[in-house]
Amino acid sequence: MTKKKQLWSLRPLSQTLTLIYRTFSSSSSSSSSCASTSTSNSSFSIKNVTKSNFDSALVGLRQHIRGADFVAIDLEMTGITSAPWRESFELDRFDIRYLKVKDSADKFAVVQLGVCPFRWDPSVSSFVAHPHNFYVFPRQELPISSPYEFMCQTASLDFLAKYQFDFNTCINEGISYLSRGQEEEARRLFTNLYDNEFLESHSSFKDIKDKGIFRMADVLFTERMKSKISEWRNGLLQVRNGDHESQDSTKESVKQFETIFYMMRPAVKLHGFTSRQLRLIQLVTKNHFKDLAYICVSGDGTSLQQLLVYTDSINDKDLLMTEVKGSLHKDTELKIKNAVGLRHVIDLLSSEKKLIVGHNCFLDLAHLYSKFIAPLPSTGEDYISSIAKHFPHIIDTKLLLNNNDVFQVLKRKRSTSLAKAFAFLCPEIVSGVKASRSAFKPCIKVEVQVDDTRSSNWNSGAKHEAGYDAFMTGCVFAQACSHLGINFESRITSSNLALEEKLQGCINTLYLSWINGDIIDLMTGIRTVESSDSSDYKYRHSKILFSNIVLLWGFPSKLKAAEIKECILKVFGQSSVTSIYHLDETAVFVQFIKAELVSDFLDLKATLERNNDPISVLHPLSKILDGGCTCAANYEVYKEICESPISEMLFADQAEAIGIKWKTKMFAPKPEEPHQETSGPEDGQITGSNPPSSKEFEKLVSVLDGLSSRRIASNGLEDSLAQAQIGR
Amino acid sequence: MLTRRPPWLLRRRFITTNTNPKPISKPTHNPKWCVKQVSKSNFSETLKNIKDEILQSDYIAVSLKKTGSHSAPWHKTLSIDTPETAYLKAKYAAERFQLFQFAVCPFSVRDSKLIAYPYNFHLFPRDDFKLGMPCYSFMCQSSYLTSMANEGFDFNACINEGISYLSRAQESIARNRRGNPVVSKLIESSSAHSVADTLFLGRTKSRVKSWLSACKESNTGSEDALIRSLRKLMVGSEEYGSRPCLRVDVCSERHVQLVLEMLKEFSDDVVPLLIRAKGGGIQAVQVVLTSSKKDKEIFEREQQCKEEGENKRVRGFREVIDLISASQKPVVAQNSLNDFTLIHSKFLGPLPPIMDEFRTSLTTSYLKRRFFAPIDVEIPQQVEADENKNHGFDVVRISQLFAKICSVLKVSPQSVEDASSAFKGYANIFNAYSASSDDHMEEDVRISTDHQQKISTENVVFVWGFTVGTSARMLRNQLLTSHEAFSEEFDVCLVDKSCAIIAFWKPNSSAKFLEAMESGGINRDSLSNLISEGLRAADYETYKRLCNLGLWEVNLADSLDNALAADFDGHTEDSHKASTEVHWRNTVRINIDEI
Repeated sequence: MTKKKQLWSLRPLSQTLTLIYRTFSSSSSSSSSCASTSTSNSSFSIKNVTKSNFDSALVGLRQHIRGADFVAIDLEMTGITSAPWRESFELDRFDIRYLKVKDSADKFAVVQLGVCPFRWDPSVSSFVAHPHNFYVFPRQELPISSPYEFMCQTASLDFLAKYQFDFNTCINEGISYLSRGQEEEARRLFTNLYDNEFLESHSSFKDIKDKGIFRMADVLFTERMKSKISEWRNGLLQVRNGDHESQDSTKESVKQFETIFYMMRPAVKLHGFTSRQLRLIQLVTKNHFKDLAYICVSGDGTSLQQLLVYTDSINDKDLLMTEVKGSLHKDTELKIKNAVGLRHVIDLLSSEKKLIVGHNCFLDLAHLYSKFIAPLPSTGEDYISSIAKHFPHIIDTKLLLNNNDVFQVLKRKRSTSLAKAFAFLCPEIVSGVKASRSAFKPCIKVEVQVDDTRSSNWNSGAKHEAGYDAFMTGCVFAQACSHLGINFESRITSSNLALEEKLQGCINTLYLSWINGDIIDLMTGIRTVESSDSSDYKYRHSKILFSNIVLLWGFPSKLKAAEIKECILKVFGQSSVTSIYHLDETAVFVQFIKAELVSDFLDLKATLERNNDPISVLHPLSKILDGGCTCAANYEVYKEICESPISEMLFADQAEAIGIKWKTKMFAPKPEEPHQETSGPEDGQITGSNPPSSKEFEKLVSVLDGLSSRRIASNGLEDSLAQAQIGR
Repeated sequence: MLTRRPPWLLRRRFITTNTNPKPISKPTHNPKWCVKQVSKSNFSETLKNIKDEILQSDYIAVSLKKTGSHSAPWHKTLSIDTPETAYLKAKYAAERFQLFQFAVCPFSVRDSKLIAYPYNFHLFPRDDFKLGMPCYSFMCQSSYLTSMANEGFDFNACINEGISYLSRAQESIARNRRGNPVVSKLIESSSAHSVADTLFLGRTKSRVKSWLSACKESNTGSEDALIRSLRKLMVGSEEYGSRPCLRVDVCSERHVQLVLEMLKEFSDDVVPLLIRAKGGGIQAVQVVLTSSKKDKEIFEREQQCKEEGENKRVRGFREVIDLISASQKPVVAQNSLNDFTLIHSKFLGPLPPIMDEFRTSLTTSYLKRRFFAPIDVEIPQQVEADENKNHGFDVVRISQLFAKICSVLKVSPQSVEDASSAFKGYANIFNAYSASSDDHMEEDVRISTDHQQKISTENVVFVWGFTVGTSARMLRNQLLTSHEAFSEEFDVCLVDKSCAIIAFWKPNSSAKFLEAMESGGINRDSLSNLISEGLRAADYETYKRLCNLGLWEVNLADSLDNALAADFDGHTEDSHKASTEVHWRNTVRINIDEI
């Protein structure tokens, strides 16, 4: 505390203290005596929330969110991709993109959640922001399910460390959570536990009785307990009668029989018995001591403390039992409520139906869904239809900036990254001085309030700290709104910002993948590719025909994309291949000019592998097939491989790990999934690793024969082969 | 004497009086065991010290701090595991989890005194050289991180200051990837040249000649600067450091050979450097001109030092592993199977798919002798671990324990040879059967050593599909009347909440039971009833197979279902000589609280 005070007094000195500050100020609420307004260049700390101040912070946050016009959020995770080939590629179809996002959200943990409610304050004509920075750690607080485990991407941890992320606070003090599913599981667990203890003639008794073998040891133990309990009970009655007899004899068992008072009644705490012994004690009590009640009260975690309580009468006993059950129930609810932890914040966001603002936030939302709501559904369509129920209004600032002509300056500079957009749109907040060079005027004012301290140009957060990133996102959004012509001064403050006409083009549309400009509408599930000038390099391949693609992996490791292309061109003609992409060093996508070539290629490969004769060896494709591990399939297999929860580092290993044993296969796309872009006429007609039809086979053989007979005149060779392939 | 006196008193005396080179910088109030904490900043200086200590000591104790162990109860080594399945489980864990601390303690025992030099290395698999290595991602178990946090582990320091490393396999990949020039020896002309070779040779030779003469001319200094630079441009001369050099692009290994042959002629002045392409293979030969024979020697030495230094930096913490390995000192570890699979996968290379290969890979390339401290000996718990913020005490405890065992067994551990005869039974054996879980050591171990019986894997049957929550006894009762196989002696115990094993003590009973299950329990109402309620059964081979296939679901029942479903044509029968006996413990039980 004194330390904190010192720091407070040092505050005006400089901003260099900010970092030290962050580590000390997990709760700054206690030093709020210096409440002030609008100091210049204030650098009071962001509101850090950990286990210890979570409950109080939640109370405050609830008020702020209720009053907010919108809430900006941001997450920090332990990683993004579980293997290099799971990164986002240009040739990823929508369903693949979703699978990649799902894989990421399933595997990695959230370590920080930034929540920043923004409210328009007409009295000062500015927004008031309340940035909160929650440290999160998925601790297993109730013994449900299997051990909590998550993945870390080394580079991501290193990145966080570079920005002074405090891992110690996170792991020691981070707030844990239960998803809705886990909460139900926990409740079931507790109910079972109590039922077992309280049901009078339940199975545990049956166990002992049914066996018929009340073992000798059991009988002895039961007798012993009987005498002990009656001794204690008699002693109790004697004390009541004023007879203070020394109780030396019970000293030895004092550890196991501790006398206490429970709900105003004398009771014994039973320590150190096995569960079987406890059952025997329960049996003895029931059969021999009508005025003693055997009860359980909750201890730490799920453990229960067993007590024998003395009651005056049957009525008193019933009363006690009711009380005990009631308090157990209450304890359980409290425990579960505590374990739910951070999910209270998410529930709050969901129940208040506020406009949620994020920056490039498709992955963030997937994390929120998988951690706090339910496991992510296996298809993107199911996910989209489900997320809208929980978060009805979402807006993505990156998309907003990219899709409005007003912000073309930013876009041209390729500076729609959060920090750059913030610096550009909100120079006054960044530097704390009135900027003149800003292209956008007037600047919307944002005041920051942390507990009772308020400032109009607060800038003490650090980049890539979730709370500060959420704050920046909100500022960018507020500014963008103003440029779009939303006048906060004249707006009716009670109206929902999400329904604002000028935002309708962007509301609930997110970047599925920023790389491709793939946009998805969360309400309708409709996907579009960002409209853009054709000169933009990114959209050269905006129309990708997935049915034209062959996935090739396991080829000789030294082979480069260019060499593979060359081999294929030799066989199928100079213009047969549009492009080749490396997924990683072990796999490539080969994009053919038309869909038929996909099956031609796969058929030819299968044939060559079957006929291991000199002709096949001399075939131009044999360079790719060298080593005998080369596998090929059409695009559908890519989906199957991405669906797997396994993440091997190399694509070829992954394919092996999910149990692919064939070498060449044509997969039929699943019929229930309509793929807008895949419209190849032969889709789904060639199935499995069927050998090519006999007619095709003959043709192939004749070509190969020709090839061998004309070996010496090698020049025209490949061309003739290629023509034969294409011409059929 | 050692056994009578409290061991920590002894220890204190040694450590305060012995030659432990640097007492730890933070003075602590109770000067107990001082474990030197090593991170990035003091790594290189520590390396020198530990090298000597490793050479002088008799044994080396190691202990590891991991980010997790097993993801589901049945993933840990169980008494029912054969060495093969135990290895596969350890392999699965080793490949997923990461090491944050590696404690090394070279020690000797002299006159019932333990002289120990404990070090605790903090590791983090940072990609220092942007090579995508050593580790793209790894798993963490929150319970492990929490318990490390409770011990005061500093995660910030670990991630910021931890020492990185590359395995041997990764180092060779890295060498190719980094593309640093490597000095090459010039070679004698070998095979006959083809026409193409001659052409290539002639072209490069004339280029090198004109470059050499150009360099020599410019040394005379009579030309003006413009002409000199123009000339340089024409012959394509570059500079390597302060020396002129020429780059000769090559297309194949053959070209490299030719260039090196050709340069032999100019061997007095030039040094060839091989430039590697990104994807492996050699891209070019860089010919560096030195001014004299002496200058050439200097240059070669320079290059060598540079390369060595670079390699050292890339290897990082693995230097320590290499030192231990090179010393050939016996390594004492606890729970060695898990530790050594981890060491193999992080510091040697990817783990081989089967146990035997692992064993040979480890012994041929690596640590020669290992001893395993049997863990059913009590480890004296020390209080100071929490009091001063030091870590890596376990390693001292292991060496202490080892010394204690030596004295109990009346072995003089002064010379390795003596000791190894007494420890023959323990050396190089992986204690695959120990249900070794760090936290729950106390009761399980003691119980398990009492009634251990061996049972052939043929007589073990896995059953699952019963209602979750069924106890072993309830299951036993249900089974009792279902089939005549159960009229003989048999035992049931739960492997996890979803799956149980039945041990038939009479041969062939298991086969009969499986047959009956296969046929759907015809003519046996109670059995077909159980089957219709979902009961399934499989033999031990299925279990082996699922370990091989890596079907590590959370519930064993799901894995078994998947293993049965998996089409199994590609299976190679390599497990013939594998042990077919497993240990059966009457008392094995799953503690529900533990799950």
